[in-house]
Amino acid sequence: MEEAADAGPQNFDYDEVKNLIEQAIEPVLGKNVYQPKKVQDWNSAIVESVLKSLQAANKPFKYVVTCIIMQKNGAGLHTASTCYWDTKTDGSCSVRWDNATMNAIVTVFALHI
Amino acid sequence: STQSTWGFSVVPSFPPIDRFTKNMASSESITKTAQENAEEKYQIKPSYKNTFKPRAVQQIVKQVVDEYLQQKQYDPNETSNWTKEIAQLIKSKIKELKYARYKFLVQVVIGEAKGAGVRIGCRCLWDSQTDKVAEYTLQNDSLWCCAMAFGIY
Repeated sequence: MEEAADAGPQNFDYDEVKNLIEQAIEPVLGKNVYQPKKVQDWNSAIVESVLKSLQAANKPFKYVVTCIIMQKNGAGLHTASTCYWDTKTDGSCSVRWDNATMNAIVTVFALHI
Repeated sequence: STQSTWGFSVVPSFPPIDRFTKNMASSESITKTAQENAEEKYQIKPSYKNTFKPRAVQQIVKQVVDEYLQQKQYDPNETSNWTKEIAQLIKSKIKELKYARYKFLVQVVIGEAKGAGVRIGCRCLWDSQTDKVAEYTLQNDSLWCCAMAFGIY
């Protein structure tokens, strides 16, 4: 199968995006302790960093990135997502990360233009 | 001194007339008439009537979430099913609105209300004129629920 340079049909690359997300979360949250004042900044920092690296990959996709940061309290959390898209070209990737005091879930949805 | 005049005019972008390809056997099939070119349309944005309306969709999301979680208490076993079902319900209701060529994403998060701090954030790389989000958050004594519906052209 031929691969066009940047334009043309490309499929969503799960592994690449997963690595990208993991590399974005680690420097921001690392070993930090949950602090309500800082969590907003962490959230923005993770999401922006993921979005920047996705954009740098220069693929013909639109992206939606969501990040949930939650304090570890013994409380339960459930998340589900459903999508109406083109299953051949679009995809999503969800990464769960945690440290001693908090959980983080980052989801990237990529939709082909 | 000689007077020279020059003009600049915008030429409509039709493909070159086939003076160069006249000798090729397939010349007839390559060229199109000017008429046909004028009629070809490439739609890159929906008309205003057909854009994703966040308010209308938010009403739907609110209605589905309120109805579903009306009197429910947080249950560690059942809640994961609830999230999936709410997401499916929202998606099918948005599909009924029949937005042409739109793709939909729905994400539902339900958490137990135990005093834990939570922050949910979202950023998107899209065309802000055509792509929108509708979100709704519900809280009761035992749980909270955040549902987000995205419409992308």
